[in-house]
Amino acid sequence: MALKGRAAVAGIGATEFSKESGRSELRLAAEAVVAALHDAGLHPADVDGMVTFTQDANSEIAVAREIGAGALRFFSRVDYGGGAACGTVAQAAMAVATGQAEVVVAYRAFNERSGRRFGQAAPGALRAPTSQGLEMSWHVPFGLLTPAGWVAMCARRYMDAYGATSEDFGRVAVAARRHAATNPRAWFHGRPITLADHQASRWVVEPLRLFDCCQESDGGVAVVVTGTERARDLRRPPAVVTAAAQGSAPGQMMMTSYYSTDPGDDMAGLPAMGIVADGLWRGSGLGPGDIQTAVLYDHFTPFVLVQLEELGFCGRGQAPGLAADGELELGGRLPVNTHGGQLGEAYIHGMNGIAEAVRQVRGTAANQVEGVANVLVTAGTGVPTSGLILSRDR
Amino acid sequence: MTADRPAPSVDDVVHTRLMDLAATARERGEVDGGTAPDPVNTPMVRHWVRAMGDTNPVYLDEQAARRAGHDGLVAPPAMLQVWTMAGYPGPGDDGAAERPGSAVDDLLACFADGGYSGVVATDCEQDFDRYLHPGELLRTTTRFGDLAGPKRTALGTGYFLTWHTSWYSGGERVGTMLFRVLKFLPSAREARAERPADAPAPARPATAEPYPLRPARSCDTHFFWDGALAGELRIQRCADCGRLRHPPGPMCPSCHSTSRDHVVAAGTGTVFSHVVHHHPAVPGRTSPYVVAVVELPEGVRMVGNILGVAPEAVHSGMRVRVDFERVDEDLVLPQWRSAEKPATRDRPPTAGAPALDLAMTRTSIIAQALATRDFQDIHHDPDRARAQGSPDVFMNILTTQGLVERCVTDWAGPAARVRSIAVRLGVPNHAGDTFSLRGTVAERDGPRTTVAVRGTNGIGTHVTGTVVVEVPGPRCGGEESRWR
Repeated sequence: MALKGRAAVAGIGATEFSKESGRSELRLAAEAVVAALHDAGLHPADVDGMVTFTQDANSEIAVAREIGAGALRFFSRVDYGGGAACGTVAQAAMAVATGQAEVVVAYRAFNERSGRRFGQAAPGALRAPTSQGLEMSWHVPFGLLTPAGWVAMCARRYMDAYGATSEDFGRVAVAARRHAATNPRAWFHGRPITLADHQASRWVVEPLRLFDCCQESDGGVAVVVTGTERARDLRRPPAVVTAAAQGSAPGQMMMTSYYSTDPGDDMAGLPAMGIVADGLWRGSGLGPGDIQTAVLYDHFTPFVLVQLEELGFCGRGQAPGLAADGELELGGRLPVNTHGGQLGEAYIHGMNGIAEAVRQVRGTAANQVEGVANVLVTAGTGVPTSGLILSRDR
Repeated sequence: MTADRPAPSVDDVVHTRLMDLAATARERGEVDGGTAPDPVNTPMVRHWVRAMGDTNPVYLDEQAARRAGHDGLVAPPAMLQVWTMAGYPGPGDDGAAERPGSAVDDLLACFADGGYSGVVATDCEQDFDRYLHPGELLRTTTRFGDLAGPKRTALGTGYFLTWHTSWYSGGERVGTMLFRVLKFLPSAREARAERPADAPAPARPATAEPYPLRPARSCDTHFFWDGALAGELRIQRCADCGRLRHPPGPMCPSCHSTSRDHVVAAGTGTVFSHVVHHHPAVPGRTSPYVVAVVELPEGVRMVGNILGVAPEAVHSGMRVRVDFERVDEDLVLPQWRSAEKPATRDRPPTAGAPALDLAMTRTSIIAQALATRDFQDIHHDPDRARAQGSPDVFMNILTTQGLVERCVTDWAGPAARVRSIAVRLGVPNHAGDTFSLRGTVAERDGPRTTVAVRGTNGIGTHVTGTVVVEVPGPRCGGEESRWR
């Protein structure tokens, strides 16, 4: 039984995106979920499944209590930070497709700027001898303990392997901020940057500058997944889940898969995303030429380039050329992150990107791409990850 | 008298006494510090320039000195204070007689009585009115500056004591100095730190706090950290199929054996990738620092810091060699240093900017301390240094000044005139580490050039400072070729 086409996103909802929400994470989650249900034209009593990130601080049952949900028949968590984003929809779609649940809400809500900031060093959390604590112990003692640092190590390899430059990374940021500038929901609405601005921004961890790093944001996003048939009767046109995939590569670690010396694993690629790409293309029967716009996880600019290559939109080392030619912007061959991405709109751990994909399928995005049939969305990179292809119905 | 008033603590008594003495010292004003034990002389200059590795010819080559515009040989400006150091005590000298009388002697005695036995120099600003020639006999005066404290510092609770010194040749003032020291109570942990020298290559000073970036360990990984404590870089080996593996784990992914042992790595490697961390601040590390993925010839990769190499000099493919950094009593980290030949630490100055890289040994640190007539035990006696909480002997401030001066004059050439050197000290320069100085021109005003200098070692920034240097004549006006 293939997943293809059996489930759809029927509703999306979000809080405002800010640097200080001024309210609890549980409230953000409840607000986003209620907004998504309202968007779908469903009632909290219709919800019988909930999925979120392992890292989310709001348990399924707590959110269910706040919104007044009825009985839950399916609840699940997906691990590995932002790599979970599309995985939550994949889990929801599987639950719906197999009849485990009828209406599943996937959500992510946090005060990631005013509360615990992922970009700061928090070595204390890594001391427990869990498998993850032990994994971290091979690099944290040397001061390699921020996401920017972990990604910078791979970015250096990408530069060495293909001659990519800081300017190449900068063009990803410039495109994102250009899109954010015309998206009223984006934190950086009306505030584009130039490549010179990017080059003048301070080093965070060389070779990454400040403008290579996504924002830290407060906010919540939720999506409602139900069967495609049922979705057709609801308020919005369905965004059909044409394919959903998760992926973890041999030797995988959390953003620090540095140790495999297998031939071909040169730390300049993202093998887990290659596995997701394979799952998406095989599951959908589509190819890169069938995608009109993509939402590629952009916690750090270099991995947007690497993802384009892993997904097969171009050959190895060719993504900087696409960026330089403007192909990733509105009007280009493959507009990427039309909402402004996590660099420009907000960092809601990839969930806001799924909402943007749904808007592109519906034709309601602030920066709408014409003639959208299929949108590819990815989740966090450098970690075990996930992806979706969402499509216009029939 | 009231019976219920608590008796003042010892610290309160010492504090009150210190403040009284400071007030008295302030009122005394300028105090005669006596005459130097020896005139400015070439043998001491020779000893000093050798210890510093300073090859500026104006100090020992009369012809070169005249070509540079001097009236004969001159002494290195940074030696100013050396001429009036008392040196090693002679027969009949006691501790108090080690130095000429100064405006702060009473305060120093009070610190000693109060248990403030720790001392580190923190700031020194020297201004040179002119260069000195062999034969000049210097006289000195001192003046109390300031006393601030008690303050909690990384070393212990203490006071910052500042004083001013002037030097005269005949009736002419030839130079002045502001000097600031931290006098501190060594913490209880530091006081009991007289332990055997078991660190393979100590670099980080022992502090009261354990290293904040400690690894988690399990029975599967202990052997690695135990190896580092023993000065061995260990790689897990499957006891059945022989596969090497890093990071280690409980089961061989190839044959599923749970029998393991390890091999000791050769200790060489090449940089596979690296980053330079700037932000955010990381506890236990001083930014910027380099983290690298190092590829070992045994076929595994490891993460570590590259120590003793300027961040901009690290590159993919760079050959490195393991070194062991003791970060606290229980933890040693395998780290990496350049194994390139010629080593980057000895390379010629970077074109256009002052640069100096020095490997520091106990011998070099002791030779430099003695060349500056500084017999403070922490600069030559490893046991005494440990008793104060340091892992080994460390460089004295007069040497730091000498090396800052050398870094700038190496770059500016023999015709340069050093007008002032101001330094602020950070982490110590311990034996076994590498000291890297880098200068940038902060300001140019005719011949007067202000150079900002920063010196780092494996544990952070040892010194930041400013050197004002002049190059006489039209050469400086716009002729850049003089500035290598």
